[in-house]
Amino acid sequence: MLRTRFRRLAAAAAVTVIGLGALTACGAGGDDEATSGPVKLRFLSLAWQKESLQVNKDLVAKWNAEHPDIQVEYVQGDWNSVHDQLLTSFEGGDAPDIVHYEASSIGEFSKQGYLADLSDLVSEDLKGQIDKSIWDTATVDGKVTGVPFLLESQVVIANKKLLDAAGVAVPPADGGWTWDEFQANAQKLTKSGQYGAAWALKSPTNRVLNLALNYDGKFFYGDGGRTEVKVGDAEKEIPKRIHDMIYTAKSASPEALGMSGADTLPGFFGGKYAMLPGSVSLRQQMVEQAPAGFEWVTLPPIKGLSTKQAANPQTLSISEDSKHKKQAAQFLEYFLNPTNMAALAKGDWLVPTGKQANEELVKLTAGKQGWDVAADSATDLTVAPFQQADGYPEWKTKYATPALQQYFANKITLDQLATQLVDGGKQVLR
Amino acid sequence: MFGKPSRTSRTLQYLALAGYLIFLGFPLVWLLSTAFKPPRELVRLHPTLIPDNPTLQNFVQAFTEQELGRAALNSLQVSLASAVLTVLVAMPASYALARFRSKLGTAALGWVLLSQLFPFVLLIIPIFLVLRQVGLANTHAGLVLIYVVWALPFALWMLQGFVRNIPRELEEAASVDGATRVQVLRRVVFPLLAPGLVATALFSFISAWNEFFFALVLIKTPDLATLPVALARFVGIEGTARLGPLAAGSLLATLPSLIFFAFMQRRLSSGSLAGAVKG
Amino acid sequence: MTTLTERPDVERAGSARRSNRFRSDRTTIYLLLLPSLLPILVLSVFPLLRGIYLGFTDARAGRNVEVSFTGLANYRELLGDELFWNSFKIGLLWAVGVTVLQFLLALGLALLLNQQLRFRGVARVLAVVPWAMPPVVVGILWKLVYHPDAGLINEFFHRIGADGLRTNWLGDFSTALPAVIIVGVWAGMPQTTVVLLAGLQGVGRELHEAAAVDGASTWHRFRHVTLPALAPVIVAITSLDFIWNFNSFGLVYVLTAGGPGGKTMLPMLFAYEEAFRYGNYGYAAALGNVMVVIIVALLAVYLRRRLREAN
Repeated sequence: MLRTRFRRLAAAAAVTVIGLGALTACGAGGDDEATSGPVKLRFLSLAWQKESLQVNKDLVAKWNAEHPDIQVEYVQGDWNSVHDQLLTSFEGGDAPDIVHYEASSIGEFSKQGYLADLSDLVSEDLKGQIDKSIWDTATVDGKVTGVPFLLESQVVIANKKLLDAAGVAVPPADGGWTWDEFQANAQKLTKSGQYGAAWALKSPTNRVLNLALNYDGKFFYGDGGRTEVKVGDAEKEIPKRIHDMIYTAKSASPEALGMSGADTLPGFFGGKYAMLPGSVSLRQQMVEQAPAGFEWVTLPPIKGLSTKQAANPQTLSISEDSKHKKQAAQFLEYFLNPTNMAALAKGDWLVPTGKQANEELVKLTAGKQGWDVAADSATDLTVAPFQQADGYPEWKTKYATPALQQYFANKITLDQLATQLVDGGKQVLR
Repeated sequence: MFGKPSRTSRTLQYLALAGYLIFLGFPLVWLLSTAFKPPRELVRLHPTLIPDNPTLQNFVQAFTEQELGRAALNSLQVSLASAVLTVLVAMPASYALARFRSKLGTAALGWVLLSQLFPFVLLIIPIFLVLRQVGLANTHAGLVLIYVVWALPFALWMLQGFVRNIPRELEEAASVDGATRVQVLRRVVFPLLAPGLVATALFSFISAWNEFFFALVLIKTPDLATLPVALARFVGIEGTARLGPLAAGSLLATLPSLIFFAFMQRRLSSGSLAGAVKG
Repeated sequence: MTTLTERPDVERAGSARRSNRFRSDRTTIYLLLLPSLLPILVLSVFPLLRGIYLGFTDARAGRNVEVSFTGLANYRELLGDELFWNSFKIGLLWAVGVTVLQFLLALGLALLLNQQLRFRGVARVLAVVPWAMPPVVVGILWKLVYHPDAGLINEFFHRIGADGLRTNWLGDFSTALPAVIIVGVWAGMPQTTVVLLAGLQGVGRELHEAAAVDGASTWHRFRHVTLPALAPVIVAITSLDFIWNFNSFGLVYVLTAGGPGGKTMLPMLFAYEEAFRYGNYGYAAALGNVMVVIIVALLAVYLRRRLREAN
């Protein structure tokens, strides 16, 4: 009974669609581009900081001046809406030719067939510049779906005066603290009205999974085509240590839990937090917003069994539907040559993926303002299993984030957290 | 007026009003304060109301980096067109809906509610496809069309409520006096509907002025971008933002709606009813 | 102008006398409705029907994806989807909370703004500030209001020496939902206020004066004159508000992204993620269909009661 009714409904919908299609067909074809003239490429960029915006615009302007036959139109998007914008324009068949985004998000679009395979489009030279493990973060089912170009490593930014006052020495750029040392020093830096550290955990899942590689915590384990979530001792290490800092040692602020990285700044500048474990890009806010006389230092990534972290580089991709893939790739080669890549990285206070670019950048900045630490952290970054897992976004939002938030709010135990993460994995990775 | 309120109740009224205005209007103060603060003053542990070193730098940045002027002009065009069109289309339709009970009318009203109920995100792609088909993607006309359609439910629901409030006898009296239907509409219904029309126009204007998502996906030529899209470019990753330029731009983006409303709000006053009927 | 004192809904007896012209022009209805029906048809009926239909398919995001009709499969899955029903409950709490508070506060404000107070014009303009502000900045603003370290609320408590009241408003499991509800009320109040204010203009002053002469108290006049006359507008705006509130999630998404621990995971946010993040259009549409059915049922009960009261 019901079935036939639904069929009828579907049929009705179909009739309407056909009817409308016929109605509207006469107006179609309005937005086809002219076939003659220079090739036009649309480049959706996500640069938003003042300096990096300027670098991007300058590079595009320079390219356009040198290549009258390939004109690039610079379109500025924004990180918050880019996913929806891209999905809509992909589905609507109206996507930009060149897309700036991040490795962990383009995988999905690649699987859906919207992004071109760049394996044969980019030069060997560019390929050689970037480490294999970084290429892997943007490689889906053997297809290279984007050129990774900017890396964000997790370092520690510290208030130099508070370190000095507590007698904590700044470690050298190539030899950071272990987790034990970090926790002990956080303890030393804790006193009334002052926390040793602030863990900004508004988006706890990425944070925890990135750092979990310190102890070889992989979370996602593939077993011949099937993936499952496992939470053993290796995976538990990072959440447990952060939890300990907040509730046992009380050396990390519980108030920072709901914050994103930048939200911790007033407390950091106000002397409430002595150290901020966070992205290298936080250095920009230090330069721009720290009060006069405030001294800050960049400490190297914290070390577990290793200093490995999951890399989620920013990427540049080419749409599968683009009519000018070759020209787009040509532009990418130019845009990401070592000098330009160094300039882009500098503008965003991130680490360039290219080896030569990284060297140039250190030379350019003389390693100051934490660039030595940033450059050195590049080698710690690698691909993590969760980035390749199919249902990761769903697992993250539906299960992992709520569970981690409950754990960090001290509402569930570590074992309950583990159970929830594993059960969530079973739900999603069916 | 019906009876002079006592002094205490007047005082209470002013107090209540002040409470409301603080709750609703404080962001304007915040925007004003933030727009003039240099970056270092934006991350204080104990924020101040008055900037220590007020600066115009935020305005300069906002206008030099993004073409806010052009974006504002685009937004103004789109919003005014949407407001006018919504009123023009909704007025007769709501009159018909309220005065003639027909199956079609009921269906239309029901549909209107339904269209507001269904998850909007699922409608975006089909709408986008339709507009591309008819060649209205990447045009302001396409945006206006969407905004009008999206303001219509509100307009129809509200206005037919207002029409129902107009005594039928007024119209009949006028028509007995020999006025034609159009004259009745123009001289009796329209003036009485004025407050409702103001609310509708305002609604349509402001929703169009502030609409972000369609403006983002439909318009691809940077020169045609509207203000909300331009402003969003000051927002960064994970809730970070370039607060100074954003506040400066937002302050200027807020003003047109407020000015528009300031002009229109007189029409929301008592007196328009009596005046209209007598005139 | 004696007609003015007549209640609109009394005295319908004279309808036989009603001129034929008012009856005969059925065609005018269609002429009047046509301009609004045509665009609605193209831009709302088609997408909506397609959306509803998707709920019975396995549609997914992707290039050249085959869509097949799966009947009720989505709904069988949905019945057992605890996360969704949990978020649906939160959604009802949110929508009812916001709508009721919004209405009560807006009614109070509309009545005030309808008085002959000084600075009325300025007050009216200030009252629509939340509406006029660009949404991008609204989320950021409220995050700063609730910021645990440097937020306006906590700073206020600090300055009056009540540090004990400082709370991590958006991060605490018990305060997150109330905190976002307040933002929802704030954001939607201007619309409701303006509509009610406009509606108040339709309340005949003569009625009030007549009642005042009869010696009715202010409350009595409000209860028996203003409210009944305002009823159609109230019904319309509260139903719309309810729908809008149920459907809105952008602001909450910016503030909490559904956290902490899923405490503010609104159902529309859930459906949005299902569609735009995981690409499950079919399932998301099914969620939409179920929500539409439930909300329509709730609204039908509400509207029927209201309409009965009005008659």
